[in-house]
Formats: sequence, structure tokens, C-alpha cells
Amino acid sequence: MTTHIRNFCIIAHIDHGKSTLADRLLQLTGTISDREMKEQVLDSMDLEREKGVTIKASAVRMVYTAKDGNEYHLNLIDTPGHVDFSYEVSRALAACEGALLIVDASQGIEAQTLANLYLALEADLTIIPVINKIDLISARPDEVAEEISNLLGCDPDTVLRISAKEGLHVDQVLEAIVTQVPPPHGRQDEPLKALVFDSHYDSYKGTVAYVRVVEGQLNAQDTLLAMSTNIVIRPVEIGYFSPVMKPTDLLDNAEVGYIATGLKSVSECRVGDTITSVKNPAAEKLPGYQQAKPMVYAGIYPVEGEDYLDLKDALGKLQMNDASLVYEPETSQALNFGFRCGFLGLFHMEIIQERIEREYDLDIVITAPSVEYEVVLRTGETILVDSPADLPEEGDIVEIREPWMRLQIFTPTDFYGTVMELATKRRGIFVEQEYPAPNRVQLVYEIPLSELIVDFFDDLKTRTRGYASMDYSFGEYRPGDLVKLEILVGGDPVDALATIVHREDAYHRGQALVSKLKELIPRQLFDVAIQAYSTGRVISRANVKALRKDVLAKCYGGDITRKKKLLEKQKKGKKRMKMVGNVEIPQEAFMAVLKLEDK
Amino acid sequence: MEHSHDSVLAGSIHAYSIYLHTPFCQQRCTYCDFNTVAGRSSLIPRYVHALCTEIVTTTANLHQPLPVHTVYFGGGTPSLLQPEQVQDILGTISHVFNLLPGVEITMEANPGTLELDRLAGYHAAGINRISLGMQTSNAEELRMLGRIHTNAGTIEAVDLARRAGFTNISLDLIYSLPCQNLASWKATVQDAVELQPQHLSLYALKLEDGTPLALRVASGDLPEPDPDLAADMYEAAAGMLLQNGYAQYEISNWALDAPGQRFQSRHNRQYWENRPYFGFGAGAHALLAEQRLVNLPGLTAYIKACETTQPAEFPRGPATTQATPRTPQEAIDDHMILGLRLTEEGVNLADVTIRYGIDPLECFGSQIALLTKQGLLEFTNNHLAIRLTPRGRLLGNQVFYHFLRD
Ligand SMILES: Nc1nc2c(ncn2[C@@H]2O[C@H](COP(=O)(O)OP(=O)(O)O)[C@@H](O)[C@H]2O)c(=O)[nH]1
Ligand code: SF4
Repeated sequence: MTTHIRNFCIIAHIDHGKSTLADRLLQLTGTISDREMKEQVLDSMDLEREKGVTIKASAVRMVYTAKDGNEYHLNLIDTPGHVDFSYEVSRALAACEGALLIVDASQGIEAQTLANLYLALEADLTIIPVINKIDLISARPDEVAEEISNLLGCDPDTVLRISAKEGLHVDQVLEAIVTQVPPPHGRQDEPLKALVFDSHYDSYKGTVAYVRVVEGQLNAQDTLLAMSTNIVIRPVEIGYFSPVMKPTDLLDNAEVGYIATGLKSVSECRVGDTITSVKNPAAEKLPGYQQAKPMVYAGIYPVEGEDYLDLKDALGKLQMNDASLVYEPETSQALNFGFRCGFLGLFHMEIIQERIEREYDLDIVITAPSVEYEVVLRTGETILVDSPADLPEEGDIVEIREPWMRLQIFTPTDFYGTVMELATKRRGIFVEQEYPAPNRVQLVYEIPLSELIVDFFDDLKTRTRGYASMDYSFGEYRPGDLVKLEILVGGDPVDALATIVHREDAYHRGQALVSKLKELIPRQLFDVAIQAYSTGRVISRANVKALRKDVLAKCYGGDITRKKKLLEKQKKGKKRMKMVGNVEIPQEAFMAVLKLEDK
Repeated sequence: MEHSHDSVLAGSIHAYSIYLHTPFCQQRCTYCDFNTVAGRSSLIPRYVHALCTEIVTTTANLHQPLPVHTVYFGGGTPSLLQPEQVQDILGTISHVFNLLPGVEITMEANPGTLELDRLAGYHAAGINRISLGMQTSNAEELRMLGRIHTNAGTIEAVDLARRAGFTNISLDLIYSLPCQNLASWKATVQDAVELQPQHLSLYALKLEDGTPLALRVASGDLPEPDPDLAADMYEAAAGMLLQNGYAQYEISNWALDAPGQRFQSRHNRQYWENRPYFGFGAGAHALLAEQRLVNLPGLTAYIKACETTQPAEFPRGPATTQATPRTPQEAIDDHMILGLRLTEEGVNLADVTIRYGIDPLECFGSQIALLTKQGLLEFTNNHLAIRLTPRGRLLGNQVFYHFLRD
């Protein structure tokens, strides 16, 4: 009997009100009392709250008595809200039959609305469009309803209009879920197949896999098998979220819940995997499993060498919770011992960086991100290079291939020109355009990922005054005319500053980098030469003149403490510098590549 | 040792210094972030009274009057005090302290506040050294700095001070100003030299956050001073002063060459030699019994505290708001950082060993080796002392921070 179950998710662009609506639904169904109501229950990590995105999905069961008098289990499955996690989104969608599409009444449709909507349509979900924030003075619900209607072909008058913040019409949302989302149809008597659509690490219960029972039933006593990793699981407990973990003996067909696996790391029970029972195993896995593949790489180094082991520990702990983070030890002349880390995307990288700094209280330097190149050598061998310093000599290389992405940019038509210009400047190739809503255009490009990871999003935001949004997904590897650009400081190459660039860009990138470094490297006791070097020659140089004057004036009335504080600060600053040869280089210099303005 | 007030021996080498703060000015200069207020001179009488009370209360629990060899009226603008008020303060001091023969009593004075009788009054009250805030002789620069005097005023002030009987006059100059160039600075130095002071202090302007001048620079209204030009100015001035018979003895200070370092500021030397001093007045700092003490900075809070608080245990006074003990290690670090400011004699290594029981080559051996290699420090006096090289004088901070231990 699955007629009383509704599995649904909420898809929305960041800040359109997904978390707020989720809170209201939990309150209205009594899943959580008003008193217990913390702000934004579903976003349990501070960081997410600040960034306004959901990194970890959760799944909450609400029990709701509908107007027809029947009691329903409404399982709300939360989806990550960012482009880097589109695979995770697709798995969460695969666990649902319906999706609430939330659109901000003043912002209208945005790139992620579209990207996630297309994923939801691909997954065959019933879409319930909802216009949120109708309480805002700037709300234009009629226009937005029109946009939605153009997109979905629904009657604009049937689109729900709510204010999640004020609780207005949220009851209509619950009724719509009951009446519009189809009940799941699974076969109870089949061998168990449960889809893992998310997971987190719990220090007592090990990896907690979030599952949707697709076929059969899940019994607390069963010994289980993760089919892709072939790992046997003896569950510590199974249960559902309400919103805290509630153990049960049975997760029935079509239900959503969790398995506390006791496993040490989330990578042993990955998102997308199928769980079956050892006693009566399913013949084949559910479709759609993918190994998470990092797209962006960067070096992470402790500022203080003695923090190396703590950093290693932090990465290990983060990986327990995040199967898509990969890392291995790396040594740099400039930065000593650290780790080469792989991330799903730039945003994923930022999250990891912030968590290391905030949750583990470590000072780190993170080097300019790089993509992974395929390098074909004269020997006929093809190697993968994710660190520019590792690129072999030019003479040994036949071809370098780089990842190209399919990029969608969604913007008001006013900014058409400037977005076009940006994409073209970054080697983007125009593919197509669409006008999914009045005055809105979606531009589709093919573009090298390496161009996206250097300041692209910030530039887009600036050019469009924050109105444009974007989404991207991997396309393919393509050969490119690429060269290594090296930076020499005081005559020594600085490995952490090397980049791989398009041959045509080498010259101006080299110049921009040299002048940026000239600003960032403080004057020292001697002249410091900065040079950019590529394809066998120096393409740009600058000189940081020796420091001449740095001395504090008098101490008024014997106030030497103030003076010492300044010296203290100076000493701290020195300690944070990295030594390359004799030259002290500040941390920011290693991120300089990211902040090059175009000249 | 001189740190413990009970075992103080008479004799100037172990004597104390006294700093007295006068936090009043007629008008605030545009670069100033000192503890001072403008337009509240009606409070001066009460303040002077509080100051005298503070002096008496602070020393109430001492068994014997401590020997004092320098007194310094700093500000603010101490020359806003009436001669009688100066007399009251010095009278109080001589009552509770043992003012040694030849005691140096300095007053900072703003050239815009001086008349002959007033100067004569100060002299009669016991002031024997006067430090005039000339700053620059350039009219436009004086205006930019918001000084209340003209250069003619400075010239007149020097003349009046001489006529009032002062034979030890110091001039303060300030360089590295926005828009200042090498020529205008040299002209200022030349004008200062022509006034034949016994002592000169040259300070580079530091743009302090929030001051009107810093704001003008931040807004682009005035150009930011160029530190390389400042270095040129410093070197040019040093050359001119040397030619005119002034010997440099500290990073920013020059004195007319005379036997027995007669015209060096003994009071400031007290700081650089890391020796104890009292600090009286709002926001004043002191170093006593190996504690760094700070008074309440607010004018009225300070006055109230002095008026109502009972004597506390020495070295605390009625207005003390912070008293931080200094560890032996900090004392040595301070000694190095302060002592290296003395450009001629530097830090005598044997003295350090005698005073603190630790050989500086032991705790700072690698730092000293590095700094001599970098050309910022040199050995002098037959390897008995270390001092800044001429280049090191301009790069003092690059030297000093090495002597701050964690
Ligand atoms: N005025 C108004 N603000 C809302 C409403 N719903 C959400 N918000 C606000 O919009 C912001 C983003 O909401 P949030 O739920 O965090 O969005 P999410 O990023 O989609 O999860 C928050 O400041 C909410 O308080 C609404 O109905 N009306
Ligand atoms: S005279 Fe001195 S203390 Fe007074 S405002 Fe000017 S600079 Fe500041």
C-alpha cells in the first residue's frame, strides 16, 4: 500500500525561499513544534546558512491529514542548490515523484531554476509551480506566473502564490502535493532495491545513508549489500527523519528513510548506489550510478608547517562526509608540504576552504585552481596533469587536451551584449539561445572549464549587476593550443604560481600576473625581480625596489606598548610570508592568478 | 637594582624621570591623534589640581622621596598652563620627590601660545629646557597641518625664549608631508638651523587613521607621501645637521655637540635606556617596579579618579587603569628595541649582561648575525656594542621586530 505516500522535493534558485518554505511545511504538519522551530532546520550547517545554499540534502517525513480526511506520509527530500552538485541533485530527484518549483515573485526564473527544472522533467517528476514572496512590494506575481506558464505550459491562474515567510497559502501547497504528486508505485514483493540519494557521517553510527526504498522492503534485521562498492552492511539501525532520526524496524516499500551503516566513510556507500539484501539480492542495480569525478584541482598548504598533520586530519574528516573530495600529499618548493585536492567545482572548493578555516581553525594557503589536462606525449603515452608545475617539457608534448563544459547563462536581455562579450573573451563558443520568459534570454556556450574557474562568475555578476545566473556541466575533452606560464621571483621559478594558459593569452596573462605580483610582494631589503616566462622566453618583467624607510617615530610620553603592538603585527605578518629563495612572498600572491583584472 | 623602589640609591644613574601630561590644545592639528582636547581650557585649573593630587597620592606610600633627574611637561600643549600652575606642579613634585641637582625640566611649547612674561614665568618656575613645535617653516604646510602659528611666530618664540633666559632650546620638525618636496624640506631644516637651537627632533609624519589629514589623503584630495622621498629627506637633513655641528644620537634626534652630551634630551634617554619613569596626567604611561602603567585617558574620568581615590599600593596611582607586569624577557626585549634607537652608542652588550644577567649574544645571536649580514646592524666600540648602520636607521622596524620574542 503506497497510496498514502508522497515523495517530493523542492527545487529553487538560491534565496528564492526553499528553506523557509520547508520550515513552514514542517510547522504546519506538526512535524516540529513552533517552539522547536529553529530557523531553517534543513540547513544544519552554519556555512550553508551563510552561503544561503543547501550542501547536504536531507529527507524529512511529515504526517499530514488532508482535506479528504486521509492521513499521508509526505517525504520531503531536500536537494543541493548549486551547480557543482548536479549529480547529487539528479539522485535526489530520482527518489521523488514530484517537485515543488519555487520561484521568487520579484526575481522570476533564474538559471538554476531552469537547470534543476530540466533535471526534474528528465526524471519524469510532476512539477508543482509555486510563486513565493508575494508579500514583497516588488512582487510581480502575474508576470512570473506568465513566465512559468510559458515554460511549463500550465494555466497561469493555477500557479500557487504564497508567502513562505508569512505563512500565507502554505496550506494550499500541502493539498497540492497530496492531490497532484502521484503516489509511488513500487513492487513490495520484489527483492530489495534502495537508492542512496545522500549521506552524512555520524561519529556514533558511522555513515548514514539516506535511501528511498524503490523495490521490496527494508528490514532492520537484514544484512545489506551496497551493490556498486560491493560492501556488506550490518545496519546499526534504520529509521526516518522527523526531522531528528527516529529508528524503526521496517522501511516499507516506497518510503524514504535512512540506514545507519556503521561504515567509516561516506565513500563506502556512495550517492547513487543501490542497497539490496544479502539474503535475497536484486538481480541488477538501479540505473544512474556515477563515480564522483573532481573537475577542479588546487593545492592546499598550511600557513604554519607544523599544522600539516592537523590539515591532513581535517581533510580526512571532511572526506568522511563528502565522497567527492579527493586529496593526496603534494610538495611545493615555495609552500613545502601540503595536499593536492580535487573538487567538483569552484564552489565546492570554496566550501572546503571555508570549512577547513572555520571548523578546524587552520590557516591555509590555497593555490590557483587548475583543471585536469590530458597530455599526449611523444612516447605515445597519455598522462593526466592537474598541477601546472607537473606539465612536461614542451618538446615532449604532442598535444594537450582540456575539459570543455556546456555553459548556460540566464540573463535579462539588457545584458545580452556584455554577456556575449564575456563568453567570447573566455574562448566560449556560442551554441544556441532561448527566450524562456519575457525579457529573459538563456545563452548556451561551450567553454573550457579553465576559463570558468578564473573569476568568471564574479565577472558575470559585475557585468549584469547581479542579475545573471549560470549553470554548467561537463562536455568533453578537446585539444587546445596550451602552454605553461611560469613565474620567476628573484630568478627562481615559483612552482605554486605556474599556470597552463592558451598560447594567445600567455603574453597578457603574464603581464597581468607580473603587475599584480608587483603590487602584492612587499618591498624587501633588496631589489626583487619578477618575471613571467613561457615557451622559452621571458615575456614580462617587473622590479620591486628595495625598501628604504620603515621606522617608527617617537613614542609619545613613553607609550612604548603601542609601538610594540605595531612591531608585533609586523612580526606576525612576516611569519605568514612564504620564503622563495630569499624572497618573502605573502599568501595572497598565490591566489593572485584568480584576481587578475583584464587590462 | 633600580627596578625595586625600596633599594633606590641616590645618584643620577639610578634616578627616575617624571612625565606630566597636559591634554589641552587651542585647536586640533589636522594630523594629531594624541590624547588632547581643544576648547576646554576652562577645565585647566581643576586638572592641575587633580594632577597635584595624583602626584601626592601615588607617592603617599613610599618610605623615602625617590630621586628624580628629569621632568617633562608634554602634551597636548603644556604652554597653555599659567606659570603659577607650573610652579604649583613643580612645587608638589619637589615636595614628594628628591629633585637632584642639575635636574632637567623640559616643557613642550607651541610657538603660537608664548609671550615674554609667560616664558619668563616658566623659567622662574624652574623650567630649564624648552621644546618648540616648529614643525615646518613653510606657510602652506603649516596651514595644511592646522598649526596655530606662522613661521614668523616660531622665530619670535625662539627669540623670546632666549630673552626669558632659556639656553637649552629644542625644535621639533616634521617631514614626509603630502605635497612636501625635497627643496621645501631643506628650506625648513635650513631655517631651523639658523635659529641655532641646542637640539632638534625630526619626525616623519605618520598618517593616523581618522585624522582629517589622513582622510584628505584617503579621499585623494592630497597625495600620499612617498616613503622613498621621506628617506631622501631624512638623509638630506642628516647631512645638513652634521655640517652645522649637530651630532645625531638617536634615530630622530640631534644635539649640538658639546662635552658630556650636555644637550641631549636626558628625559628621552630615560625611555631609550629602559629606565623607570612616572607618568602623571590623563592617559599618561609609566614604567615603575617592572610594571607598565596607564592612566585613565578621559579628562573628566581622570579628574574624578584623582579627586576621589585613596592611595593604593605603589606603583598604582589613583587614575591607574592598567598595570601590566613586565616579564624579565620582555624587559630585555624592550632594552634592545629601545637601546638600538641610540644611533651612536647603540646597545652595550656587557651592560645588558650586567643589568639582566643574560648575554644578548646568547638569546639574540642568530638575529644579530642575520641583521649584520643584511647590513642593518654593526658592531662598534671594539665589539662591545651593537648599533644600527646608517641604512639600518631608516629601516629600524626591520631590525626591532627580530628582538620581540614570543
Ligand atoms: N519577503 C519574503 N521573504 C522571504 C519569503 N520566503 C523566504 N524569504 C526570505 O528570502 C531569503 C532566502 O530564503 P531561504 O529560505 O533561505 O532561501 P533558499 O536559499 O532557497 O533556501 C531569506 O532571507 C528569507 O527570509 C517570503 O515569502 N517573503
Ligand atoms: S598642538 Fe600637538 S597635541 Fe595639540 S593638537 Fe597640535 S599636534 Fe596635537
